[in-house]
Amino acid sequence: MQRIRFATASCLLAGALWCGCNKTEPGGAPDGAGGAAAERRLTIGVSFEILQTEFWVAALEAFRAELGRRNMLIIEAIADGDANRQIEQVRNFITRKVDGIVMVPKDAKACLPIIKAANAANIPIVLFNRPPDKSDARSVAVVADNFALTRDTVTYMIGEAKKTGTTHKAMLLIGDLGDINAIGRRDGFDAAVNENPGVLDVVARVPTEWNQEKAQAGVVNALQANPDISFIFTSSDFLLPSIVSALTGAGKYKKAGEPGHVILGGFDGDATAYRMLAEGYLDATGVQDVYFEVAACVRAIVDARAGTPAPETIKDPGFVIHRANREKMAPRMWGANVTQ
Amino acid sequence: MIEFRAITKSFGGVRVLRDVSFAAAAGRTLGLVGENGAGKSTLMNILGGNLRPDAGEMRIHGRPYAPRHPRDATRQGIAFVHQELNLFPNLSIAENLLLVDLPRWPWTPLIRRGALARRTRELLAQVGLARSPATPVERLSAGERQLVEIAKALGREAWLLILDEPTSSLGMREAERLFAVLDRLRAAGMATIYISHALGDVLRLCDDVVVLRDGEVAGAGPRGEFSQERMIALMVGRSLSHVFPVRARRAREAPSSAGPATPAPASPPALEARRVSVPGVVRDISFSLAHGEVVGVAGVMGAGRSELARILFGLVPCDRGEILLDGRPVHRHAPRRRIRQGLAFLTENRREEGLCMEAAIADNIALVSLRRHARGPLRLLDAETLRGAVGAVREAVRLSPAAHDLQPVKTLSGGNQQKVVLAKWLLAEPGVLILDEPTRGIDVGAKSEIYQLIHGLAAQGAGVLFISSELEELLGLCDRILVMRRGEIGAAFRREEFDRERILAAALGEMRSAGV
Amino acid sequence: MAAVADSHRRARTPLLRVLRSEYFVLLLSAAYCAACAPFTPDFATGGNIANVLATLLPLFVAALGQTVVLITGGIDLSAMSIVALASIAGAAVMSGEQGLLAGSPSAVPAALLAMALVGAAAGALNGVAIACLRLPPFIVTLTSMMFFSGLAIALTQSRNIGALPAAFNALGGSTWLTLAIAIVAGAGVHVMLARSLWGRWLYAVGHNPRVARVSGVPVPGVVIGAYVASGVLAAAASVLYTGQAESGSPVLAQRLLLDIICATVIGGASLFGGRGGVLGTLFGALFLKLIDNSLNLMGRSHFSIMMVKGAVILGAAVLDMARSRLEEK
Repeated sequence: MQRIRFATASCLLAGALWCGCNKTEPGGAPDGAGGAAAERRLTIGVSFEILQTEFWVAALEAFRAELGRRNMLIIEAIADGDANRQIEQVRNFITRKVDGIVMVPKDAKACLPIIKAANAANIPIVLFNRPPDKSDARSVAVVADNFALTRDTVTYMIGEAKKTGTTHKAMLLIGDLGDINAIGRRDGFDAAVNENPGVLDVVARVPTEWNQEKAQAGVVNALQANPDISFIFTSSDFLLPSIVSALTGAGKYKKAGEPGHVILGGFDGDATAYRMLAEGYLDATGVQDVYFEVAACVRAIVDARAGTPAPETIKDPGFVIHRANREKMAPRMWGANVTQ
Repeated sequence: MIEFRAITKSFGGVRVLRDVSFAAAAGRTLGLVGENGAGKSTLMNILGGNLRPDAGEMRIHGRPYAPRHPRDATRQGIAFVHQELNLFPNLSIAENLLLVDLPRWPWTPLIRRGALARRTRELLAQVGLARSPATPVERLSAGERQLVEIAKALGREAWLLILDEPTSSLGMREAERLFAVLDRLRAAGMATIYISHALGDVLRLCDDVVVLRDGEVAGAGPRGEFSQERMIALMVGRSLSHVFPVRARRAREAPSSAGPATPAPASPPALEARRVSVPGVVRDISFSLAHGEVVGVAGVMGAGRSELARILFGLVPCDRGEILLDGRPVHRHAPRRRIRQGLAFLTENRREEGLCMEAAIADNIALVSLRRHARGPLRLLDAETLRGAVGAVREAVRLSPAAHDLQPVKTLSGGNQQKVVLAKWLLAEPGVLILDEPTRGIDVGAKSEIYQLIHGLAAQGAGVLFISSELEELLGLCDRILVMRRGEIGAAFRREEFDRERILAAALGEMRSAGV
Repeated sequence: MAAVADSHRRARTPLLRVLRSEYFVLLLSAAYCAACAPFTPDFATGGNIANVLATLLPLFVAALGQTVVLITGGIDLSAMSIVALASIAGAAVMSGEQGLLAGSPSAVPAALLAMALVGAAAGALNGVAIACLRLPPFIVTLTSMMFFSGLAIALTQSRNIGALPAAFNALGGSTWLTLAIAIVAGAGVHVMLARSLWGRWLYAVGHNPRVARVSGVPVPGVVIGAYVASGVLAAAASVLYTGQAESGSPVLAQRLLLDIICATVIGGASLFGGRGGVLGTLFGALFLKLIDNSLNLMGRSHFSIMMVKGAVILGAAVLDMARSRLEEK
């Protein structure tokens, strides 16, 4: 009996070890401990704070593809939403003497010690999609140009609105104002409105704090107060389902071209947005160009290693996708790819 | 009929059984006696298929029987009724009885409740238990549970019944009821092996007696050849004419000469209860216990003896009345404060309240007295003095020297476990010791040692309140005996008035004693 | 019965003694290292050992509190939310941006005191609910976990508090200082568990609270003490985690609870109480961190790390069961 139990336990342990040790690198060839190739391949550590929304999954896929294309190895680590675990994982990268680090930080503050550690080890570090707080730590951040992209998207929507020849009552869904991205998008919206006076009358600004329930309640209330709202912009596409449900409830969810269509626009370019665009409900969304951002991250590391450091912030201009350019731009829209 | 032929068994070089041969026949009851460690449990484990003998064989009705698993024994019609009963308290009597083969509707997992109840009633009738089959076992008394166990054996059509210490948790009346059932089963042809330390019961019940000592049969034969004295002599290998030590006369005679049933008033009594009542439990209890006195408490199961002990110690809050220690009232509720006042309580429930079974011997012994060895603001323990004190008290209770201080208590025999509990309380140097069934289920040698310890304590001036279901030990040990019945003190006897018949009668309530 | 005692004595051979002691987990860790080193790049380097140490120590300090509570037969599910609550309390006192004592030289000591007080108060709340209201520890600490977490997030509006004094950050960021804190905490808890009156009472309550009560142990006080200790140790862990992240966060270490319980249980503490010790917990945390670290170095994804960790912990539990059976034989 005892022997059986010991054997079971040993098998379990051995199995666990085997799982851990024997799998090949997801980046491609096995990473053998001393497998010194004639020409050394660069190894890049990629640390994501979390992997729970489509956006991050698409981004990680893009990193794998980009690094594979450049014949680099990738080491992945997901911190599961824990800042300290991310510190630990990036330290492990440093121990492994990776040639560069890409990080989606848990937050703007807790990433500072990580950046400092990378600086101390002289490893270039790039922050993907989220900028760090101001500090003396050196890093490159690749972020979407929230302001410009929102402005462009809203300008396109206003163009659509002008075609109807009337003024529109407009609603804006604002994100969590503690988030620098949300502020940029709000300012971009306001800029576009100010540049095109006389078209929009902004009657509702709904604070959502990046919360779907809050967004839905806010939209429903605004629609009750102003049943003639005919122009809605959301600071993120992930709030679209809330808007759809509120509009459906008010009987205002109509395709473009149908009478009573509400001009609808968003930001991010996720799968829902792509579907709604294809079906004709959505007019435009500002797409964060994940593929550009990923390529920029890798380029920034390569440049830094070559001694030509990239600027502290690389802005992703993104692009506006709308019905007219949908066919052409879809391949570059990450949301269009995750659905397939 | 079951025969044991030259059974021998060793554990790693230590011979536990050697050439044990005897037989138990249908329609007869065989009493198996011996000290703890004499090999009774090992022999029964071999019979039950838990262990295999090194040499020798067993035969059932002449055919060889070599069980490899407990279910082999069950299939052969052998049923064990253990000291710790194997019933599920949350299930009903019926479910417990027929758990392995509940009657079911054909081809479904659904139970035929009617058939279940009918079958259960038949079985309960055989053991004379008038309870509804649907009664949950947790509502039954210890004696009733024992009967359910026997009914379970009958349900499996057992022809050989093994009872291990069946009366250890029963009061007198319940024991009598059990004996009646066993007599009836014997008449119906059941073979029974009856293992017990209660030698009086063995003589009363058994047709044959086998005495084991150090793994060998020390004596065997029909009951007529045995007396209690002879059995004890065979068990311990020497004549124990005095299981109960002779006490110093002084402590005992002083109170009896001073007046009826009350000790000398010169110093306040060690423990005094004044009209203590807890509704539904005890009523109007008044007595006093002098320093140096041993007072016994007799009574049947449920008379409120253990409850009284728990009230005195503070485990059950006392509603009305006063409890005084050395003339000062005790703290309410917390046993903690009463312990500091010098009260000690040896519970009848060793497993659940007496010992941390998984913890080391030394830790158990030290538990009550740790506070005294704590030093400094962090109350760090003085390991030196603590170890010394534990060692000394170990000696005093004569704990088996083989037992290592760091060994878990659960590895000890029942007698040694009880000595650990005693050691724990002795270390606290109590002024009053309440003992609730301190000798239950332990062997004669250990019992005798515990009696001596109690006398020693009394001689040093402690008051001892001694609760027991064994009248013999109360008679042998106490200066006075209080008899409880239905939550009241029904009678009290001074040593010179001790009389088995009258005490029993007072306990059973058939006759009122004039000695109250 | 005598036979059992005999065989028990005989079982004290050197091999069995190691198998039965907490060093078993250390051996397991060593075996794991030996098995992994050839496959794991940079596993046995000084830098990596420092890494393991830096992440091990906060986990160890947090697990110490859990050990104390597990010994009583309880569990503290709220430990990590106490860490978060203490983190924002400390940061709120000393942050250079919005702290109450921003820039003052007494900011760091005051913050440490505030963190300890928050930990002690939260622990006392748990302890009183468990000991005096007789509620099951699982329910009490589960609900207090939700309450403390919610409170931390509500107080900060889910925002981090940065700009902490460098002196404070060093407590968690410098491996030497962290090591010193962990040693002090570990040694303190060890002395209290092994040598103090309270420690002995703690084990007795864990073994059997009824026996402890009958034997005059102040059971409620001992239990409340255990939860207060758990809260204070959570606050100590919070100092390390907060210093490491250089910011106070209301969701700090939120997902480490299972790591902590695992480390403690692998280290020999029993979920049923009465067993456990500082050394065992240290080795348990070490074992867990080695697995984390090695799989990380191998570049395994987070999900395969979780799977392997689960399997290893199960394996360790089976081994533990086997050796305790062996002990009884």
